[in-house]
Amino acid sequence: MLIDANHLALTLDGNTILKDVSLHMDKGQIYGLLGPNGAGKSTTIALLLGLYRADKGHLMRFSEAETDLVSIRRRIGVMPEFAGFYEWMSAREYLIWYAGFYGGLQTPPDALLARVGLAQAGAKPISQFSRGMKQRLALARALVHGPELLILDEPTNGLDPRGRREIHDLLIELAQQEKVGILLCTHLLDDVERLCTRIGIIDKGQTVLEDDLDRLLHDAGRPRYRLHMTDVPTVQSLPPSVNLIDWDGSWYTVEIEPSQDAGIAQTWESLLSLGWSFDEIHREKDTLEARYLTLTGGERATSQEKAA
Amino acid sequence: MNASSLIATKERSALLQNQRGLAWLLAYAGILSAFALLLISNRELSLLDNAQVVYMMAGTVTAAGALIAVIMGSDAYAGERERGTLVPLLTAPISTGDLLMGKAIGLASAWGIMYLLSLPYLWAVGAGGQNLGQAIFYLGLFGTPVVLGFGYLAMALSARSGSVMSSLLTSLIILLFSASPLLIGPGLRNSAIGKALDAVNPFSGALNTYDAVIIDSDPFLSQLGRLVLVLLWLGIMFGVARLSARRPAFR
Repeated sequence: MLIDANHLALTLDGNTILKDVSLHMDKGQIYGLLGPNGAGKSTTIALLLGLYRADKGHLMRFSEAETDLVSIRRRIGVMPEFAGFYEWMSAREYLIWYAGFYGGLQTPPDALLARVGLAQAGAKPISQFSRGMKQRLALARALVHGPELLILDEPTNGLDPRGRREIHDLLIELAQQEKVGILLCTHLLDDVERLCTRIGIIDKGQTVLEDDLDRLLHDAGRPRYRLHMTDVPTVQSLPPSVNLIDWDGSWYTVEIEPSQDAGIAQTWESLLSLGWSFDEIHREKDTLEARYLTLTGGERATSQEKAA
Repeated sequence: MNASSLIATKERSALLQNQRGLAWLLAYAGILSAFALLLISNRELSLLDNAQVVYMMAGTVTAAGALIAVIMGSDAYAGERERGTLVPLLTAPISTGDLLMGKAIGLASAWGIMYLLSLPYLWAVGAGGQNLGQAIFYLGLFGTPVVLGFGYLAMALSARSGSVMSSLLTSLIILLFSASPLLIGPGLRNSAIGKALDAVNPFSGALNTYDAVIIDSDPFLSQLGRLVLVLLWLGIMFGVARLSARRPAFR
């Protein structure tokens, strides 16, 4: 296992930043770390990198025997959200200099630059790079020593759709062919659905969900339906198996308890008996976005906003 | 090349290849040029005794060096943080001690360049006298710990606060307070408070030594107490920087 973190807690300057965070990932896995702003994702990454020390919990990186921070960092490549460089250097000079901390480059600098799509920019001063080029260079910096674990914070920020696709392909290649574990911290759920094999969602300093993405999406037990109403329904005293999620004009979205899914006709009948009148029913695929919003309280906020 | 050397190499290249570093050196040379020109061309100042002129130039070199050291020290951690280059250093396989050592060596190199830059100015104002050699020697011996001490103080504040502006302002206030003996004049310096300040102030220690050896030609042994003072200042400030840089502000 690359990371085995259980029930981590951290208080900084009297403020509880993390209450109970757990994270488990293996080699070759792409792990999506999700959560609203201020949920504790960056602090969790800082803990994994040893920039903070957890007050509580158990954290293992690579193996129990690996406790020296310098040797742990030798095996990790990091791409922070804000990619800063010494802008008077060229990209090639910078990579050679930075690789010095790891005992030198594992691959020639131009090959590494070509891998992230900067083949023609090696001699150019970094001050002339666009934001997207700096993102690519930040990824090259993280790969400079052939890490076993990559930690990427919003890696596709500032990239155009083609650049985003190229970085996605590179990450998939790293995970599948070189068995690099990739911890991806992002707000882009599309990226997560396309890349990740496992996700963890943090909200208010605690892990609210950690699971394999496939199982999460396919075994999700609460089917959703969109009903087209022909009249404004009464939303009070709904049957216990029905949960009103959202409404948009005459379209109402409801979630049905899994045990009732088989006998769904009974549920519709009970709604009809309450005066609900609808002429169309669509089953919705359970999306990551829906799960994310439910777990982080987003839907509650949306519903309240609409009700107001 | 070890981690400290890599950091120090980067710090040197930041000073000599980066526009900001070159601007600082240019500002330093500008201060010395303006002062040297004043000493040579101003009628009243040009009538001063040669030793007095060299003493004033050595004091100016120390003050300007400390000013640039404070600017560089304030930028050492907080500037890197603000430009997004601190996290890649903290997540690289180097200890915080190595990082500080690299920054400290970088600052010492910068002072070395400033010291060399000051030599032509000292020569320009003091070539006709007999105390130029002493001025150069004592500037190196007493000026170095004073300048580096202020740089390390600024570095400590920079690592702790994470803000260039706040560490720079705090360091400048301390530097101005330390340099106040230059401003308050001999009358106040002879008062009890002035004497007490002189006894513990490394800046005064260096200036009083320049005065004693360049103007009064006192022997080296009579300056040992002041040498201990400036070395103590350097040691304490480096210790403070080490403590502060163990957990630098990086968010």
